[in-house]
Amino acid sequence: MATAERILTEPVPQEIEKKPWRFDVFAHLPWLKGLVRMRSFQFLVILPNLFLFYLFLIAGFFGTPIGNRNIIIVFVWILWWFVLIAVMMPFGSRLWCTMCPLPFFGDWLQRRSVVGVRSGKSPGTLNKFFGLQKRWPKRLSNIWLQNFGFLFLATFSALLVTRPLVSAIVFGVLILLAAGMALVYRLRTFCNYICPISGFLSLYAMTSTVELRSADKEVCLKCTTKSCIRGSDKGWACPWNVYMGKLDRNNYCGLCFECVKSCPNDNISLYLRPFSTSDVALRGYDEVWKACIMLMLAFSYSIVLLGPWGWLKDWANISEKHNWGGFGMFAAGQALLALVIFPALFYLSIRLGKWYARADDVSTKELFLKYAYMLVPMGLLAWIAFSVPLIMVNGSYIVSVASDPLGWGMNLLGTAEFPWKPLWPQWVPFAQVPILLAGLYFGLRGLHKVGSQLFKDPTQLFRSMIPPAVLLLGVTVLFLKLFIG
Amino acid sequence: MKHLIDSKYVRLAVVIVLGGLAGFLFTAFHLAPPQDRSITITAHKYAYDPPVLQVNRGDRIHLHLVAQDVTHGFYLEGYNLEAKMRPENDTFWVRHPSQGGDFEEVDEVSFVASRPGKFRYRCSITCGYMHPFMQGELIVRPNHLFSTSVGLSMGLLLGMLLVFRPSSQGVKK
Ligand code: SF4
Ligand code: SF4
Ligand code: SF4
Ligand SMILES: [Cu+2]
Repeated sequence: MATAERILTEPVPQEIEKKPWRFDVFAHLPWLKGLVRMRSFQFLVILPNLFLFYLFLIAGFFGTPIGNRNIIIVFVWILWWFVLIAVMMPFGSRLWCTMCPLPFFGDWLQRRSVVGVRSGKSPGTLNKFFGLQKRWPKRLSNIWLQNFGFLFLATFSALLVTRPLVSAIVFGVLILLAAGMALVYRLRTFCNYICPISGFLSLYAMTSTVELRSADKEVCLKCTTKSCIRGSDKGWACPWNVYMGKLDRNNYCGLCFECVKSCPNDNISLYLRPFSTSDVALRGYDEVWKACIMLMLAFSYSIVLLGPWGWLKDWANISEKHNWGGFGMFAAGQALLALVIFPALFYLSIRLGKWYARADDVSTKELFLKYAYMLVPMGLLAWIAFSVPLIMVNGSYIVSVASDPLGWGMNLLGTAEFPWKPLWPQWVPFAQVPILLAGLYFGLRGLHKVGSQLFKDPTQLFRSMIPPAVLLLGVTVLFLKLFIG
Repeated sequence: MKHLIDSKYVRLAVVIVLGGLAGFLFTAFHLAPPQDRSITITAHKYAYDPPVLQVNRGDRIHLHLVAQDVTHGFYLEGYNLEAKMRPENDTFWVRHPSQGGDFEEVDEVSFVASRPGKFRYRCSITCGYMHPFMQGELIVRPNHLFSTSVGLSMGLLLGMLLVFRPSSQGVKK
């Protein structure tokens, strides 16, 4: 009896648990595979965005300074943001990076080609690249710079999302920086370590329902060319320096599909998979802090931008109200919350769980890193819940601005006079509730999943989970309070 | 396939529903006699004063709207009410957006807070940089949606813990 009980209560062996359902998209849609294998594929999807980007910059520099009448603000911070966070992140991984115009000029400078491939030799690759091709310092090969960069930009978010000029300057600087860095450093160092968008894309791509992976890791093991990471005459070396043979998370694959073109063994495919199930391992403090920063920024934005408190908006709105003391408090408060207070609360919950579970054989560090995954689906869904009112309330600006992108009184499509009209605003809370509950659900499930990799003993697993689970509930209730309470 | 409809998921669903129910009941018996409330809301860049209005369901709200610095709007979701007010005027203009039509000059607008929950009033006239974020909150108690959803989230946590609890790990096949 005791032995039967024992066997049945033993956790599922990892090999079984580690193979969640996945569906081979390329095998079922060969035309899609053909499409991404076209040399011109990425250029063709970037091109329209490049054009729009150019238009946005012009609008930012020369159009009306009133945000909600300028295309750069309305299209970037209402339309693009919503599609990015609510559609591309959960369902497309880093699909945005496939079509992102920011690194275009950098790639062009490095490759001296927009479509074709050049074989040859450059550090670490079998392609001929131009530029200094330096390696990025090891010390900085993490996402800390992105963490601080994003937090810094977030300090000025009230300006960034309301002032066309500020948006245009920031995007202008990013595109120049991307090009400049491509001349000095190899591959997409900018995307890997600098781009402020990249940090949260990498984090939330983990939850996504698609993945690009090698079909058979055994084939990679025997593969002598390693063309995916080294490049070939069919495709450029992975711009993100990713080796497909070891890739097991979406984080740092920019979905450029070069490897699909270059792999001589036809060993790479696009897969569908369940939401927030496969990539559940955060691998460093940089990633854990990213998760904390993003969650706390969703919280802070919900208070400052979507809250009713004018004095807080005035503090954040520094260039108009000039209240430097207030701005300092806001900036310091936001940074403290994201970098210290919340991580400390999370750490405390981990320590408490470890103590309660008597888990002396698992280090606090490991628990801290692993259990932080619960913040990933929670953070993504909190951001989505935050973004729903943005598009529902201000979506009508998309219609009017499309006709008058610079706010100069044009009427290109005849919709310039389209009135501001919130779309079912009273139902927004009813959408936010299930979204937040889903965040809690996937967070708890993730917690259990990583926990079962750490603990053999189900009682220890269960006990270690309780304090972080309660913290996650607290976060959920806090967001509920802000949005509907 | 039988294990897919494992009884533990049934239990999870039951606990979530019970949580929601408990949350709902928490506010279900909130009975406050309806009263008349006269409220003056002052709009200025980029907020309303008071920022949050707390009323009870059934209250009759008499609103007087004032703009302090520039012309502002007032679009109250869920109550089909839109207004605009100018700084130099003691009166203001209202309409019911669902019927479209023209604004009508008034010195007070009144309505019964019949729908419970949290509703935002937003500025509907571009008044400056932070205009898209200029908003206040009307909270009509009892806020069933809030209490129910807090109950649901607690039920979700409890239910998940029930699913994960050691004795149910793999014992039920
Ligand atoms: S990492 Fe940043 S710059 Fe690079 S492709 Fe993605 S969004 Fe664009
Ligand atoms: S080139 Fe293809 S087979 Fe070789 S390591 Fe890369 S993905 Fe694997
Ligand atoms: S692994 Fe590299 S080459 Fe392949 S799609 Fe991802 S970023 Fe591109
Ligand atoms: Cu206003």
